[in-house]
Amino acid sequence: MVRARSGRLAAVAVAVLLGLSACGTEYSTPADRPGPRQANEVTIGVAGDEGTLTPYTHQTGYPGRNLVALVYDTLLDRDQHNELKPLLATGVEANQDNTAFTVPLRTDVRWHDGKPFTAADVVFSVDYHRQHPEGDSVPAIANVTAVTPRADTVDTVVFTLAAADPDFPSRLLADLRILPEHVWSTIDAPETATVEQAVGTGPYRLTKYTKDQGYELSANAEYPIGRPKIKTIKIAIIPEQQTGIAALRTTEVSVLSGQLPAEQAAGLRRQPGVRIAHGSSFTSTLLAFNNGRAPFDDPTVRAAISAAIDQQSLIDTVLRGGGQPGSPGFWHPDAAGADTALRHDYDPKHAAELLDKAGATPGQDGIRVLAGKPMSYPLLVQSENPRRVRAAELIRDMLSEVGIAVKVSAMDSDSVDAKVWPELDVGKGRDYDLAMWGWSAPVMLDPTSMSDILDADTSVGRLNITGTNDADIDGAAGRLRDATTTDDRRAALRDLQGLVEAKVPFVTLYYPEDSFGYRSDVYDGWVYQEGQGLLAKQSFVDLRW
Amino acid sequence: MVGRLAARLGEYGIVLAAAVILNFALPRALPGSPLRTVAGGESAGALPTETQARLLRSYGLDQSLWRQFLDYVRDLANLDLGNSFVDGSPVAEAIGRALPWTLLLVGSSLVLTVLIGVATGALAGYRRRVGKGNGLLSGALLLDSIPSFWLGMLLIALFGVTLGLLPTFGVGAGFADPGDLAGHLVLPVLTLTLTGFGQFFLVTRSSMLAVLSADHIEHARARGIGSARRIFRHALRPALLPAHTVLMIEIGYLVGGALVVETVFAYPGLGRVTFDAIRAKDFPVMQGTFLVLTLTVVVLNAVADATYALIDPRVRRPAVAT
Repeated sequence: MVRARSGRLAAVAVAVLLGLSACGTEYSTPADRPGPRQANEVTIGVAGDEGTLTPYTHQTGYPGRNLVALVYDTLLDRDQHNELKPLLATGVEANQDNTAFTVPLRTDVRWHDGKPFTAADVVFSVDYHRQHPEGDSVPAIANVTAVTPRADTVDTVVFTLAAADPDFPSRLLADLRILPEHVWSTIDAPETATVEQAVGTGPYRLTKYTKDQGYELSANAEYPIGRPKIKTIKIAIIPEQQTGIAALRTTEVSVLSGQLPAEQAAGLRRQPGVRIAHGSSFTSTLLAFNNGRAPFDDPTVRAAISAAIDQQSLIDTVLRGGGQPGSPGFWHPDAAGADTALRHDYDPKHAAELLDKAGATPGQDGIRVLAGKPMSYPLLVQSENPRRVRAAELIRDMLSEVGIAVKVSAMDSDSVDAKVWPELDVGKGRDYDLAMWGWSAPVMLDPTSMSDILDADTSVGRLNITGTNDADIDGAAGRLRDATTTDDRRAALRDLQGLVEAKVPFVTLYYPEDSFGYRSDVYDGWVYQEGQGLLAKQSFVDLRW
Repeated sequence: MVGRLAARLGEYGIVLAAAVILNFALPRALPGSPLRTVAGGESAGALPTETQARLLRSYGLDQSLWRQFLDYVRDLANLDLGNSFVDGSPVAEAIGRALPWTLLLVGSSLVLTVLIGVATGALAGYRRRVGKGNGLLSGALLLDSIPSFWLGMLLIALFGVTLGLLPTFGVGAGFADPGDLAGHLVLPVLTLTLTGFGQFFLVTRSSMLAVLSADHIEHARARGIGSARRIFRHALRPALLPAHTVLMIEIGYLVGGALVVETVFAYPGLGRVTFDAIRAKDFPVMQGTFLVLTLTVVVLNAVADATYALIDPRVRRPAVAT
């Protein structure tokens, strides 16, 4: 029988009850001494099924890609500070103009079925990803014109690019999962890859998969790149967050992949054996303007709205202090290439002056009138995201102070998508005024994603959901894409951040801090990868790089 | 008789045809695009337009709705429910994998629900003027109004977290370890039973109240028939007819699973398959699970029609004009 009577009140009541159940017991604060750095068995709670854990069958970026990374390796990887390190490769050497990259490979790596990993697998993987670009980890592969084993040696490949790309190692070599040719050459439909075909070189072998229930992975004792720290990793699929938290309390799970709400984190902190890992997140939360619709086609109006928003108040109220203010240039201050000098100025007086300048005059009920129309607009927000709903309500109150009326319109995220990003194709236009939005953490790892978000050419600006159309921004975005050296790219990235601050195509509100709960009495070898979270590869392997 | 049967079958045919159309139309009426699912995740929007178009084409989503509907009906006629957008596996497999779990969970709770609901309903009807009867009524009304999500979380907090007596999620080792499985079933079954028995209680109590004031009960009392026989034979049997109707409706919903409870307890049943399919906009799986649910309700309604006569002989008598 379908019973869908549960509601938000019930969820709140349960959260309170779970909190009380923690308070009712006498809990000491966790001891400072570290827990075990190795474990026989660790159970990870995840929210959904991730298919057969291949590069083509997982469902989410996080935690799906992180779990796939336990089975499949890339040529390079990122350490906890997001610095590139060799993994299946032993190094990378670029030619002078960054159009060819020579990658020597390890010779001591074997696939999980015992066959040796070779340069042919790398060549095959590039071809396969080119033919089947529908995987979630679609690499920026179009720029690669050839991948060839070097003539003088069997364990080195050379990537030749059509255009120079100084970030090629980051964009492709650290992203492309290497597939075994002897297994995947027979797979025509990659989304149907089975458990038996989930053969990688990674530190763990997939030994069991029960759909909708979970996984079991066993340490790959022959992994030459590092020592797995856990013998058996179990992954339990728990869709409901509150159930996952209860399971963490009962030790049925050892770590939760999902972020903890601040209220829950506070309760768990008192639980013996449980620790909360905090860290910066590259996830962004934005106030998006429809730049193609009046009055949001006027940079002065956008700047006025930006100045009327008190970021710190949002962080204090919505995130309980657990977050960083958004950079006016969008780029996270901890991400490579950030212009850390940029600061958001909350100044309602200046906001009012800007609105005056834009021609908005005081009207009845305190709502300004612009071009004969009251400045009253709906703000779309995803109803299943309580943080964003609360932030939207606060923004409504802030904008009312400067004479702009906002009606918060909460709807399910698919409905918001349908208006902001119809059919996930920015070329199909948009139908909104204001919307709460956000981009996931990997955006901050690739500088050219700024071009994806801002370029008016929709064949390039595939993520330009604001309909930004500005010649200066397009120029800087082009320079960013076409840069042939790292220095040039960083310079273009800074230019672009400056232009975003000046033209305000959207307001970057904040970057929420991530909080993850884990049982330190079961396993305490977790490594927090900056901006990415707790399920980094280094959490599971002592990598020798 | 044959004419009446044919008319009834015709009615069921119309219901099924309407259900097939709705099963096709409803998923497509949802906002948003299934592209995210067929493209394998979050980066779907960043794919080049040609790649997006190719993906939609490969799943037939570039066709007109009319063409898609004809293909759906054609496949259905061949007993083919299609393949999931998510992993390409046959929908029938997903349903077949989840169905036993749902039958186990909802079937167990339904048995308990009926037994407890009917027994306490009959008792409350019989003792309607004393505290026990009124206490049962209050308790049943309270439990019937509690959302299963909330009760499930309360039970997890109490029996799982605070007392540490029972597992909080999943099915453990499953059928390979029946003892472990039974332990995992306790909380979800208890949740469904406690939130579900109220309707059987209320229907049985109300029916008992009506029957106990009927002439034939007074007649039985006057004949000196003992109270136990009077209740179980003369009162409870006719009072069960409405409960039987409710039971048939509930069994019809049985394969729909307990969507919320399965989600709360991370239970791998049909309700969760449906829930996941709706979230992922997996049209074929949504169509398949909706169809199975519809078919079961229709078939069980037919069974209810056919079995009324077994419980109430009056249904078998021909109508008499007065």
